[in-house]
Amino acid sequence: MSIEIDETLQVFIDESIDHLADIESDLLSIEEAGANLDEDLVNKVYRAAHSIKGGAGFMGLTVIQKLTHEMENILGLIRSRELVPTPEIVNILLSASDTLKDMVNDITASNEVDISRHLELLVAITEESYQGETAVTGDEADSAADPVEPEAEEAEKPLNAAEFAGFALPAMEIIDALDNGRHVYLIDIALIPDIYEKDRSLQELFDDMKDTGTLLMGRVDMEAVGSLPEDLPPCALPYKAVYATILNPGDINILFRLPENCIFQITEDLHLLPIDTGIGVAATPKPAPTAEPKLDPVVPAQKEESPVEEFSVVEDHALHSVENEIETAAKVSSASAPPSQNVCGAPKSMTASSETSLRVHVSLLDSLMTLAGELVLSRNQLLQSLASDDRRLSEMSGQRIDLITSELQEAIMLTRMQPIGVVFNKFPRVVRDLSQKLGKEVELVIEGKTVELDKTIIEAINDPLTHLVRNSVDHGIEAPAERRKIGKQRVGRVLLKAFHAAGQVNIQISDDGRGLNGDKLAAAAVKKGLLTEEQSRTMSEKEKVSLIFLPGFSTAENISDVSGRGVGMDVVKTNLEKLGGQTEIDSEPGKGTSIGIKLPLTLAIIPSQIVVTEGERYAIPQVSLVELLRIPADKVKERIEKVGDAEVVRLRGNLLPLVRLADVIGLERTFFDPDNHEERPDRRQDIADRRSKESPLTPENFQDPDQSEKDEPEAEVRTGGDRRYHARSALNIAVVSTGAMKYGVIVDRLYDAEEIVVKPLGRHLKNCKGYAGATIMGDGRVSLILDVGNLAHMAGLTSVEGASRAKDVAQEAREKNMAGNEKQSLLTFRGDVTEQFAVPLNLVERIEKIEKKQIETVGGTQVMQYRGSSLPLFTVDQVAQVKTLVDTANLLVIVFTIAGREVGLMATGPVDAIDVALSIDGMTLKQTGIMGSAIIDGHTTLLVDMYELVRHLNPEWFEMQETVTTSEGETPTILYAEDSNFFRSQVKGFMEDAGYRVLEAEDGLEAWDLLQEHANEISMVVTDVEMPNLDGLGLSRKIKTDERFSSMSVIALTTLAGEDDIARGREAGIDDYQIKLDREKLIECISVHLNQ
Amino acid sequence: MAYDSKDKTNNSTMELATFYLGSALCGMDILNIQEINKLTDITKVPQAPEYVMGILNLRGQIVTIIDLGRKLGLPMVDRDEKNRNIIVRSKDESIGLFVSRISDVVTANPDKIEPPPANIGNIQGEYFGGVFKTEDRLVGVLNLEKIVSADR
Repeated sequence: MSIEIDETLQVFIDESIDHLADIESDLLSIEEAGANLDEDLVNKVYRAAHSIKGGAGFMGLTVIQKLTHEMENILGLIRSRELVPTPEIVNILLSASDTLKDMVNDITASNEVDISRHLELLVAITEESYQGETAVTGDEADSAADPVEPEAEEAEKPLNAAEFAGFALPAMEIIDALDNGRHVYLIDIALIPDIYEKDRSLQELFDDMKDTGTLLMGRVDMEAVGSLPEDLPPCALPYKAVYATILNPGDINILFRLPENCIFQITEDLHLLPIDTGIGVAATPKPAPTAEPKLDPVVPAQKEESPVEEFSVVEDHALHSVENEIETAAKVSSASAPPSQNVCGAPKSMTASSETSLRVHVSLLDSLMTLAGELVLSRNQLLQSLASDDRRLSEMSGQRIDLITSELQEAIMLTRMQPIGVVFNKFPRVVRDLSQKLGKEVELVIEGKTVELDKTIIEAINDPLTHLVRNSVDHGIEAPAERRKIGKQRVGRVLLKAFHAAGQVNIQISDDGRGLNGDKLAAAAVKKGLLTEEQSRTMSEKEKVSLIFLPGFSTAENISDVSGRGVGMDVVKTNLEKLGGQTEIDSEPGKGTSIGIKLPLTLAIIPSQIVVTEGERYAIPQVSLVELLRIPADKVKERIEKVGDAEVVRLRGNLLPLVRLADVIGLERTFFDPDNHEERPDRRQDIADRRSKESPLTPENFQDPDQSEKDEPEAEVRTGGDRRYHARSALNIAVVSTGAMKYGVIVDRLYDAEEIVVKPLGRHLKNCKGYAGATIMGDGRVSLILDVGNLAHMAGLTSVEGASRAKDVAQEAREKNMAGNEKQSLLTFRGDVTEQFAVPLNLVERIEKIEKKQIETVGGTQVMQYRGSSLPLFTVDQVAQVKTLVDTANLLVIVFTIAGREVGLMATGPVDAIDVALSIDGMTLKQTGIMGSAIIDGHTTLLVDMYELVRHLNPEWFEMQETVTTSEGETPTILYAEDSNFFRSQVKGFMEDAGYRVLEAEDGLEAWDLLQEHANEISMVVTDVEMPNLDGLGLSRKIKTDERFSSMSVIALTTLAGEDDIARGREAGIDDYQIKLDREKLIECISVHLNQ
Repeated sequence: MAYDSKDKTNNSTMELATFYLGSALCGMDILNIQEINKLTDITKVPQAPEYVMGILNLRGQIVTIIDLGRKLGLPMVDRDEKNRNIIVRSKDESIGLFVSRISDVVTANPDKIEPPPANIGNIQGEYFGGVFKTEDRLVGVLNLEKIVSADR
């Protein structure tokens, strides 16, 4: 019967899909609640089944009606508490609802679907319940527990049929039957219990058998009768039969209702294949062919299974290993592509079906309509203005169209947004089924279901997420026994969480399982040749764990079918990257693993940074962009270093590998010659090749742009058009991140950030891995979108290499540092044109450009409105005897946070951030608000003491802080070791101001002596790291290994604290790192450690 | 019946759009052609196969432009005023073929199109579906799918 899809039917389908959408999760909740029934929930499912039944009856969809009717019956029983929803019952309901979903999705074929198996199972439950067999649930629970164990056993080879049967088989007849497309089974029935106790007579059974096939041979095993245990009912009669039928292995048991280890399929070579009808029931028939009668009356319990497995197994005809049994639902759905006999096939719902229609809220549609109307009006206005040549009007309408377009874009995006719950909702089932199969106990916690994402992303993250969740359950969570042994909660926990952060959607999948062992991973990677031993040695733990994402890397030592078959984590990562997402992994052995995914809200339009190289614009998605860096020409040599073939830039104490965009994508490198306004080929090999130090040509002051003019002839002589010293050759670097690592891309110019529309590239360009697509710029020209991850690969810049290279450089730099002075990051600025000031860069929060008219004078204080509050402003000259601030319209405000408040220091440019090794004079020019002076770039520069400045102006701000520090009525004494006089007096000042007593030492050795002398007084040690005689690390080691002081806190002060330094410090026992001259943090840190 | 006969006449002739690659005259079924336009602002794609000239914005769609000369193993098409892009559609994608200049549209009888020789004027025969002889010249009829396939 064919059914035409008319409107009424469509409504029915839509409604049914809605009903069914929740059924799965509701059933799972019902199962979880068990006897502790949530009536509302049961009612909801009951009503859902009921309405589908009603609709189906009306539409003439008899099969759907029948199935829902039976489901409804059971739900009714659950509702009236006559039936406890055990996992088995829920299993049956779930598989029925899967079938129901399939039928609803393919409504025209629904009436041909064979649901007899479901009906049987469902009816069996109902009947048992009516028979009042209270034992049911108990027995079922047992049989549910059993199947788990056999999994551990090795799968066995197909048994020889004759051996098992205990008699010669009618080989010819069997082969004949097989040739005729029949299936041949060997059936092992205990006649009396298996038949009689199920209210069937032998006659009925044999009649049934005749109806559907031929009995080739049958025999009562007389020997077995004799050897039967005495406690069995005497009527037990083992009977073996060879039976040929057209029934599929999946259906055969409908006829016999036997436990699965009593029916076997006979293959052509007369071997036995088990009819796998149960979850995880191993392919081992009873070892003794003597059929011990099966007294277990609860047949349905053993037949409970998801239909999926049954068919996958049958289809493959290859149940040779346990692995195949642990087949997972989603995979099967593809493996058993045509679910034969249109029986309750694999649940398609598992692979999130990509819907072709969407539900959109009417209000959203209304607003779209309004916007469309406005757009039309603006268009008319624009056309009119163009016709009448009215510039003002066309400008206005242009603006309006601009506005409306963005609103329209937003609104249309909204229509595409769907809650991530659509994907998340299927995981309870996945986790439940999987943990059952693996014999694990796993609790899935889902958070942030309402977070919305673009429809395409929702659809595309389904598979990667499924993979990750499965990984967590399969590899992450330990078996309950193991968990208990190591003192964890028996039930493992998998957290699936979505949340918004920084304009992106973050998804986190974490488990509290066994975690990843970085060293093991690294060792495996080395073994596979993905990594050299050397590289692995220099890698951080996180990098090692991230190795799991390397292509060709599979961690599973023994690959199970649940996860780690075929697709590796690299595929997951690549797939997520295709969506513009980033993946990060964190793991602690024994504690668990956490995988973080960052996804853009939408794919179509992405904010991007536009850069220019060789006259062509390229877009770098903002997602991968970390920051933009411009290195002035005269700083290039200092900041760029070369290690081996790699060039790196020093960025806030870390080293960043650099690549030139033009080189990576194979463009001829040119540079812009500002003298004759030409682009010329650039032959420089090294970025920092502006005359190496060794070069005899190095002029003393090569930073001076004027100087380069003079150098030109030399340069001409040397390399022709080589012009490397020009101010224009400042480096523009886009610092990008691929998740695992950061690197810098050198481009010619940096443009604005723009929102771009991603367009795919044609098939001829699919091998160009460096691009994620193309976009059309405002002027109509096409620009390429860079794929930051692949660029790194193309540049031969794997994270591993980058890391080890950077480490080498860091080592070198450290050695260099040891030799020279300590470096200090300073921000220089001016008040008056001639006076230069500097403050430590780490104190600066932000720098704002303002106009003078923004400044208000209120209550005698200058303030400006800033981020919704009033920012107090002051100048250096208010406190210190320096020249007054220049009176200009445009000012800079340097924002600091001092005493927990933001304050702004008014200044003028030029501002510059510099890293310099300073010799600071703390005496000559010292005055209130000025801590000292130093020569920077040939200028005497006053170092501004921000705290003193602010304290002078607002002493009341600091009162709070200064009274807190005494403990037990005594003034704590701090031992402070520092070789630089300037820093020593500064920092000592900070600490004394905060109310501590300070003992000074000029180096580590002196400090150690002092410490022993004043062992009882000193409550804490603050030390510089680089010191003569005994450095800070050595001092710390001495302290920590001495039992008298081992509990004493040691705080190290540095100028630049890189991660490496911090790690080394930790090893040496240093409790905390603070930046020199960051008074507030230091004081806070001291008080925290003192109170411990 | 009337339709049938009309269809038949349509079937028995085809129109070939012809164009020059250097001095070679080539043609293709005009029904394959979406439009013909002038060379506009092409964005070079570094790392692309050498026969890809770049990509182009065609009313919001990204079109890959192929230097047909290069693709067929001829010298690069000279850049001059007469250059044109022939935009064809293949497998849901628009592709531009960059040619030296456009020539006439020729009506041809498919039966008269002869199988191509091993090569025509230094172009590999594999790119040709056949050769058609007009009154004064030979037109190499291009095998479009072969040309726009991404292999090689």
